[in-house]
Amino acid sequence: METRKRNTAIMFAAAALIAIVGGVTLFPMHAPAQAKKQAPLALDGAASVTPWKRYAGWPTRDESMFNTLAKLASPPAPKEARKVPDGITGDAANGEKLVADRSRGGSCLACHVMGPAGKADLPGNVGPDLSEIGNAGRDDEWLFNYVNDARVYNPETVMPPWGTHHLFNDQEIMDIVAFLKTLKAPAKFRSVLDDPMKRPAPVETRDNLDDLQNPGMWTIDRAKDLWKAKGPTGQSCASCHASEAALKTWAAGMPKWEPRLNKVLGVEEFVYRHAKATTGESWLMQSDENTALAVYLRFLANGQPIKVDITSPGAKQAYERGKALSGRKLGQLNFACTDCHDKSKAGLKWIRGQWLGEQRGQYDHFPTWRTSLQTVWDIRKRFQWCQVNIRADELPPDAKEYGDLELYLASANAGLKMNVPGIRH
Amino acid sequence: MADAKPRLKVPKEAKKGEVIELKTLIAHVMETGLRKDASGKIVPRKIINKFTCEFNGKPVFSADLEPAVAANPYLQFNAKVEESGTFKFTWVDDDGTVTATEEKITVA
Repeated sequence: METRKRNTAIMFAAAALIAIVGGVTLFPMHAPAQAKKQAPLALDGAASVTPWKRYAGWPTRDESMFNTLAKLASPPAPKEARKVPDGITGDAANGEKLVADRSRGGSCLACHVMGPAGKADLPGNVGPDLSEIGNAGRDDEWLFNYVNDARVYNPETVMPPWGTHHLFNDQEIMDIVAFLKTLKAPAKFRSVLDDPMKRPAPVETRDNLDDLQNPGMWTIDRAKDLWKAKGPTGQSCASCHASEAALKTWAAGMPKWEPRLNKVLGVEEFVYRHAKATTGESWLMQSDENTALAVYLRFLANGQPIKVDITSPGAKQAYERGKALSGRKLGQLNFACTDCHDKSKAGLKWIRGQWLGEQRGQYDHFPTWRTSLQTVWDIRKRFQWCQVNIRADELPPDAKEYGDLELYLASANAGLKMNVPGIRH
Repeated sequence: MADAKPRLKVPKEAKKGEVIELKTLIAHVMETGLRKDASGKIVPRKIINKFTCEFNGKPVFSADLEPAVAANPYLQFNAKVEESGTFKFTWVDDDGTVTATEEKITVA
């Protein structure tokens, strides 16, 4: 089996060489008028570790009872509000602790200012300021149901269904209600930065292409070495791609619908499948080699406007699927991509001390250096972390759903100029 | 990233007596020795504890670094150059590893 694969790889490599000798470019983007020669791709198997294993150090929660991008599993929303008698007996002091408990799904303060709760330390403003909710004349049933599952009053809400999704039990929700009823005065902030309505939006001023400022740039040295290194077939990237200049626009057109695989290929998966078919290297997605080359290939296209195909039949369908997936509620916290990143919802607001950007502006700089983690993340790893963070199970980086979503995201970023590697906190 | 080479920005040329700016950066975790890992054990300290810069064998600048210095320590300083020669930069790790690199400058 191995020998057969190897032979196939050698044949691909030989075909590639003939293509070069014949003067035909391997990359369709380079010479659109000519008969398109498809880039060799290894079509078999996964492009990432199989079975997929979550990264070391990430939360190990099992969220299999909730929606992912690949399956629907979350419990249904209740049809109507639960009957709750007035005069709920809750422990307001415990409620005050619960609303600030970050181990329970980020805490209420992530989205709401709540008077003195959590010492008004960097609350968010996705939801309304609840500091005076105790004066609002809401009855216990309304408050209970809003915390338990706000969808019974507002189907469009972005608020997690704390009760339905088992983040808080009935007694805990009653404690929270008891605390809410005590809130009758505006929050006192220790500093203007604690007030999410006055906190200035972050501005990135570092020069991401300066290798003294952005360690992400160091991956390019690595990639240049890999480019020249011969793989198991005796070929290197440089064997066929004599000039990197020919790849000046390629990455700006990625991801791309790939009929041979019936999925959308991003740069990272392309690197794996193309290298496998040519040099024989096995640079699985999320390996250092794969990330280095993905950074480099996008770096070569820096300054080019992002322009992805969403009109050819397969691509159009993938785009529509990606758009639909971006609106799917995921995980225990029940957030869709659009809940956090559309400005009609939580986009351009604060979740705790973190600023939620719009979809546009979340793609042109990937892969990006993460200052807080001292490593480079590609867009797929960013997707995965979004999901684990909202308590949903992530998919393997080569999942077709991520391909659809990446195509949708890239199209939302169309026209923005490639600027890789980025640098972010 | 640990074995990435040091980054330098040193002018190739300068006028005699000119004050030039030197920028240096080395990839390093700068582990403080105060953090605990997932199992509660202290992560051992591992930092660059000393940096020196010499010009033609004479000291120009040196710094003792402490655990409070962030990962990938970046140092920027100035030097007055009177003659052509070679800057030598040295980073000393807690474990004794010495990383050294050189950069030439022509003074007209």
